[in-house]
Amino acid sequence: MTRLTGFLPPALARPFNAVGAALLVIAALLPWATFLLNDGAFPDKATLQFFDAPLAVTGFRWQLLLIGVAALVLAFVRIPGQGRVLRALGWGGLAIGVVGAIFIASEGGGLGAITAADGTTAFGSIVAVLGGVALVLGSTALGIPDIPDWPTRFFGLSGWPLRLAAWVVLVVAFGGVLYLVSLTLTAGGIGGAADPYAGPIFLAFLGFAGALLGALHGAGVTRWVSRLSEEHRGFSILVLVACAFALPFTEAGSQYWMQVAATIGVYAATAIGLNIVVGLAGLLDLGYVAFLGIGAFVAANLSGAGASALGWDLPFPVAALIAAAVAGVFGAIVGSPTLRVRGDYLAIVTLAFGEIFYRSAQNDIGELTGGASAIPGIPPISMFGTAFNEPLELFGAELPSGVLYYFLIVLVVAAIMAVFANLKNSRMGRAWIAIREDEDAARAMGIRTGKAKILAFLVGATLAGLAGAIFVHKLGTASYESFQFLESVTLLAAVILGGMGTIPGAVLGASLLFVLPEKLREFDEYRLLVFGLALILIMRFRPQGLVPDRVRRAELAGETAMGKSIEEAEEQAVLEHEEALSAQKEDRR
Amino acid sequence: MNAARHSAETVLEASGVTMVFGGLTALNDVSLSLPEGRIVGLIGPNGAGKTTFFNCLTGLYTPTRGAVRLRGKELPHDPAKVTTAGIARTFQNIRLFPNMSVLENVLVGRHIRMRQGPLASLFHGPGFRRDERRAREKSLELLEFVGLRGVEDEVARNLPYGDQRRLEIARALATEPDVLLLDEPTAGMNPQETEDARQLIFRIRETGISVVVIEHDTKFIFSLCDTVSVLVQGEVLVEGSPDVVREDPRVIEAYLGKPREEVEAEVAEAAAHHGADHQGPAAGRRDDA
Ligand SMILES: Nc1ncnc2c1ncn2[C@@H]1O[C@H](COP(=O)(O)OP(=O)(O)OP(=O)(O)O)[C@@H](O)[C@H]1O
Ligand SMILES: [Mg+2]
Repeated sequence: MTRLTGFLPPALARPFNAVGAALLVIAALLPWATFLLNDGAFPDKATLQFFDAPLAVTGFRWQLLLIGVAALVLAFVRIPGQGRVLRALGWGGLAIGVVGAIFIASEGGGLGAITAADGTTAFGSIVAVLGGVALVLGSTALGIPDIPDWPTRFFGLSGWPLRLAAWVVLVVAFGGVLYLVSLTLTAGGIGGAADPYAGPIFLAFLGFAGALLGALHGAGVTRWVSRLSEEHRGFSILVLVACAFALPFTEAGSQYWMQVAATIGVYAATAIGLNIVVGLAGLLDLGYVAFLGIGAFVAANLSGAGASALGWDLPFPVAALIAAAVAGVFGAIVGSPTLRVRGDYLAIVTLAFGEIFYRSAQNDIGELTGGASAIPGIPPISMFGTAFNEPLELFGAELPSGVLYYFLIVLVVAAIMAVFANLKNSRMGRAWIAIREDEDAARAMGIRTGKAKILAFLVGATLAGLAGAIFVHKLGTASYESFQFLESVTLLAAVILGGMGTIPGAVLGASLLFVLPEKLREFDEYRLLVFGLALILIMRFRPQGLVPDRVRRAELAGETAMGKSIEEAEEQAVLEHEEALSAQKEDRR
Repeated sequence: MNAARHSAETVLEASGVTMVFGGLTALNDVSLSLPEGRIVGLIGPNGAGKTTFFNCLTGLYTPTRGAVRLRGKELPHDPAKVTTAGIARTFQNIRLFPNMSVLENVLVGRHIRMRQGPLASLFHGPGFRRDERRAREKSLELLEFVGLRGVEDEVARNLPYGDQRRLEIARALATEPDVLLLDEPTAGMNPQETEDARQLIFRIRETGISVVVIEHDTKFIFSLCDTVSVLVQGEVLVEGSPDVVREDPRVIEAYLGKPREEVEAEVAEAAAHHGADHQGPAAGRRDDA
């Protein structure tokens, strides 16, 4: 069924789509800035010098060109999910245009920079914005169809050939994801002085990647792949882990990006833990980063660091387990007020706990945290006679230092994912979800809600504690400053942004929220602003998160599982109900 | 009273249950006994305290006075423990887990009958899988029993109204109760669905479960129950077989909404005049439904 949500009559859909697509193509071939920016040519020669090499279209303009050409073709060729695909392309083009326009105008001295000044013209970004808007309008006028369903048995295959074909599809798909991840990480280069344009290039690339994924999703490809991967679960996990291990062999395999990837891994692991508390059990925790901190400080004290108060030197696996256990105990302690308070009050209790932890660590209570001077000099993890900060030679490839941490964290994240998935599909997980859905009804089913909630806090905190132990070794320093309220909020945002209650959601959310600051370093003062804006936009237009849970998808996307819009389904339910009542009245007379 | 009634053992016994909310006495010295394998009806006007009584039975509320016994053992004031002891309930305003699938809703009902420790939940060993498979089989049987087979993967909130009520019953049955408490199980149903619900309750009784039903639809109650209690302003006005209750003038009056004292005065007067009016059972439609 197709929802008509456009502002335009359907008859105008095709002209708008065609014009929009054409404008995107043209924008890709126009100059974007009327003069040189201070730090040199705006990326990819989108400046006046452009005409020295008119067809040397690279970077974001190359991506825009791809989007434009694809849209131009799809404006005339019917494919399943056409409206959705075109809409995704339109938003992507619009995003690239807006990012470029804002950046050039703000750096280049106002509107003149992106229109006409000093006798030259550069309307690239404006044309791109117009094209994007036209495409979005045209595609919605075309109607937004249901996402097409593709069969998981195809080409009339069955048995072994079918399995093989499915495996090939999965390898290609996950390989594509790997490639995209590598591109995303490296897009624009390292932020800061080294690559002053990292921010806008990265954001523009996000627009492109979003358009690509959105188009694939609209055409039913992502859903198809996720179904295939569900049918071949074991194989998918294998390929996914293999892909994760292959990342260091791509362009992203530099020391810097491996370090960033490992940091993301730590936060992703923490976010999955938080997802148990918030996403499954529905308990809002605003002080969660404290558990990461507890794990970190415990591990620091057991690492043999000279500056730590305890100074024990335990092997890393033992220290990590102890750190996790201690964090878990604190989780249970913080969770116990949940027996008495609900909702907003619980959020305040957890907020207070986070603050208590932060202040205690800052003031070096018990001399375990080093206070303002932190605990420096934590030695790297060392196992099997190898220190984890050493470079590595593998399959003839020189892998940079830090890659071992990356491998370790990949394994840990995979293990935590398995824990999450197993718990979610068990008696305990269902009890948590039941509590989230309706606590009284859950109690009426015999669920000891108090115990269940404490257990949720305990498990979540344990996972965070484990992540904290790796974090602190990787960083080499344990400082209270890493565990501020803002980190809790960011983790929570990662969970909500990615999609509550889902694993890919938490990982994606954590990746985005912790990569962005790296890329936007040049705009330190606006970083939070951009952050906040992005969150608001996502919550407004995609409240179910980027990778929603099956059910929340239905609830929040305005679609029921039967494919009806929610308004429609509710209307029908009301009608049925009224009918039933009037029939009853008739009956009684 | 019914002679057979005395031969059946009493499963559930509430004695002198009183519930005071601030200044409001919602229940005053209410007693009820449920014999094994019987269906007892609870009727009364809006605000009479029927739901409050269920909440006292299931431990959701702690009664100000009085006690509830299941097979002679006093029940704790904790819904989870009461359910484990063998009492299951449905809610007047359907309270499913709206974003879980139909099957998952019933599986949550199996919670207390499943043997899975936290570690098993973590590692999914063979014992876990056996337990999970059994729970699934049981749940599907129950869905079949209430007539919801085939929609088990649907999200609960998307079910039509009548099916949601049936799902709530299946979920309650999944706890393997001795006693089932149904709070207005047919509210909002059409005549066909109401009849299906009646048959369903009969079939539930056949499995050996004793049932208490709250309903406003008196026709439904009188054709279903072995005994009926009438609750008015927190007190039991009449208790007896459907035939006795149906003809009781106090019940008829109470349903027209007069205060209890007035009704009792009229009954006394009517008895003096030997002129009880024969309106038949007034349909107790809720005016807010
Ligand atoms: N938690 C509470 N706090 C205060 N008053 C309550 C509470 N629960 C119920 N009451 C009051 O107790 C009285 C009985 O309510 P109850 O819901 O039990 O009636 P009912 O017989 O179920 O009515 P209905 O037919 O409308 O469902 C009402 O006056 C109600 O306002
Ligand atoms: Mg009620």
